[in-house]
Amino acid sequence: MVRPTEFKITRGDTQTGVTLSISGDLDLGTVPVLAESVERHLGDGVETLTLDLGELSFMDSTGLRLLIELDQQARREGWDLTLIRPRHETASTVLKATGADSALAFKDSPER
Amino acid sequence: MAPTLAEFIIDRAYSAVVSMDDRGVVTAWNPAAENVFGLKRDQAVGRPVADLIVPERLRAAHAEGLRRFLAGGEGRILDRRLELTGLRADGTEFPVELTISALHDGSHWSFHSFIRDITERTEGERERERLVEELHRALRGSERRFEAIVGSLGDAVTIRDREHRFLYANPAAVAQLGFASWEELRDTPPAAIMDEYLVTGEDGREIRMEDIPSVRILNGETAEPLLIRTVTRDSGRERWNLLKAAPLLDEAGEVEATIMIIEDVTEQKRVELQGTFLAEASALLASSLDYQQTLRNVAELAVPEVADWCAVDLMDEDGDRDSVAVAHVDPARLELARELRGYEPERLDPDQGLGLVFRTGESLLYPEIPDELLVEGAVDERHLELLRAVGFRSALVVPVRLGERILGALTLVTSDSGRVLDEFDQQLAEQVAARAAVAIENSRLYSQRSSIARTLQQSLLPEQLPEIPGYELASFYLPAMEGSLVGGDFYDVWPVGDSWLVIIGDVTGKGVDAAALTSLVRHTMRTASEFLTSPAELLARVDATLKQRPTLSVCTALCVRLSDDRATVAVGGHPLPLYLTRDRVTTLGEHGPLLGAFADVAWDDVTVEFEAGSTLLAYTDGITDAIDGSGRRFGVERLGTALEHVGDRRAASVIASLASALARFQTGAHADDTAAIALHRLSPAEALKNATDARTGANNGHGHDGRLAGARHGQTN
Repeated sequence: MVRPTEFKITRGDTQTGVTLSISGDLDLGTVPVLAESVERHLGDGVETLTLDLGELSFMDSTGLRLLIELDQQARREGWDLTLIRPRHETASTVLKATGADSALAFKDSPER
Repeated sequence: MAPTLAEFIIDRAYSAVVSMDDRGVVTAWNPAAENVFGLKRDQAVGRPVADLIVPERLRAAHAEGLRRFLAGGEGRILDRRLELTGLRADGTEFPVELTISALHDGSHWSFHSFIRDITERTEGERERERLVEELHRALRGSERRFEAIVGSLGDAVTIRDREHRFLYANPAAVAQLGFASWEELRDTPPAAIMDEYLVTGEDGREIRMEDIPSVRILNGETAEPLLIRTVTRDSGRERWNLLKAAPLLDEAGEVEATIMIIEDVTEQKRVELQGTFLAEASALLASSLDYQQTLRNVAELAVPEVADWCAVDLMDEDGDRDSVAVAHVDPARLELARELRGYEPERLDPDQGLGLVFRTGESLLYPEIPDELLVEGAVDERHLELLRAVGFRSALVVPVRLGERILGALTLVTSDSGRVLDEFDQQLAEQVAARAAVAIENSRLYSQRSSIARTLQQSLLPEQLPEIPGYELASFYLPAMEGSLVGGDFYDVWPVGDSWLVIIGDVTGKGVDAAALTSLVRHTMRTASEFLTSPAELLARVDATLKQRPTLSVCTALCVRLSDDRATVAVGGHPLPLYLTRDRVTTLGEHGPLLGAFADVAWDDVTVEFEAGSTLLAYTDGITDAIDGSGRRFGVERLGTALEHVGDRRAASVIASLASALARFQTGAHADDTAAIALHRLSPAEALKNATDARTGANNGHGHDGRLAGARHGQTN
């Protein structure tokens, strides 16, 4: 099996805010890319941000750390963060094993 | 009239010997038969066998079998081991083991059986009986028949009298002991035969005449089968033999003679040793980061298992010798090696020895090194003197190559052990060299890391793994290579009262900040362990401490408390530890939340019995997250598969398998820190072996660096 998809962030606008859909592996190499992207959107004045991890194929501990950082940052700075659960087992296992799945504001991925 | 040899032995045999004629009437009944069946010889001889010892319900079958055989049918039950039911004179039945042979004297058939009561036999007895049976089978009929059977056995068989003289040796034994004829062997004193060999046990300790099983029996001791390694002084040939002996008793129960079977197990033993050796080699090589240490490890690995000396030479860009490490079985002789090095030219001769191996990348084997070769190679008198002092017996030079690139060579020399190196050693050395090449290249890369990182790294890991009574520990650590000064993986082991705590974790951050956080976690754990016994409570304490930090400080941790034969496990956002029993690999504990991250969380302790001979492997996600060239992750399944194939469950073997599976999988440098620690609960047999090794100094350690190398603790030096 070859890596199914390259790491990719796709922006989608809704009435209430911005959704960043992330696919591929969120790891040491790609965490800075996502962090930078989120930072840029917040700088642009986005107040409601959804990170759709539905297509995420893998997440390591640095990826998890970023999600926790963003969660704390959102509460501190008063903007809304919603997380969509990864559908791939490899990525969702990490969230369940670390307790992040229930502690962070996760929602199920809408069926397509 | 003096009894014949056959009569002599039959009368003294353990087994009941019962003979009958072609009418089924008893013709012979030895003292053992009297005991077994409770019937005197004069009560038995002349009566039908079936009425005496065959249970009534089996008599018809017995009679029919005899009739069929005499009518020219096949003797299907002849000359093989049978288990049947026997009948005693008092009417009781009991299980017997027997062999029946038929003999034709030209006009009539007669039948001879060796029978044993197997009601209460033990493993040891069974083995001894098998040997005695072999002899009985061989002795029945005539000495000519005896020769024909024992003489054709592949295994060497000897019989010695009370004075240790050979009464008999079959052709295999004569050949194995290096004699041209039986007569020559018979006329040579036993001590002189022993002197022909260097004889050592499995642990390297010298075996003396009084240790040989047959001699032990003659001296009135018990004798377990003994595995010995012999090196013929003359030819340097190494063999492994398994010696099994059994007594032949006289009427009074005194040992009259011994029979010994010498089984040649050289091939099995060498393959087994090769496996063990390579597993250790992999652990040691794959886990060392220090360049010079790696070279020393490579050299020391080969001594004394493969050779008496080992040198590692690396080649620089010009094809010259670059770095050197030497190990000798006797460290006092290293000075000699250093002095010899002074005689060697800067530029190697590309047409011989090391130079030739550097140039061609092909191994060179010198089974014998005659004195002329030394004279030819010597530069001056002193040089020749030094070369002769080495006592070269045999030498082997194998390239250390990475793909097409030749990094250097290993030179192996035997001297004092008197052993001649052969193709088998060459194969082994080449496999070691292949692993060494990877390790040398890795350590070359790692040595380029900054010294700041290295200094900080030291504070993250214990100086050395402690020794836990009844357990064996090994660990493995590979720091992240790229984009980080210091990785965030750590582990620690320390005692608290009668228990031991083991933690492993990952602070999921990088750089100097991660190092500070690691240090905080370790110290919090150690301090809290003074008053908290539950691993779950320890994790909660660390969690609380992390939450007090001004910036987000999260950490995964696995905490194991070892109390004699119990292990209590609590997990905080960390991969569950694997538990390896003899036949399967499972996980232990339950997932709990990451430390320092979430509000209102708790952890649970899971206590299990830590079975002797089993191993707990704790690891960080650097292992499962490792990525190969095509983007695949190492993953839990691959890890489980790697561990299922570990030959034994010893800590060093588990770490070695893990390290080599990971090394094969990963193509580039490690993206993340990778750490693992294996805890093996020693079985009584392993503990005994360790104690024996420690006492005899047989398993001399490899100068392990307990922190970085896959050190096997509890039996170092």
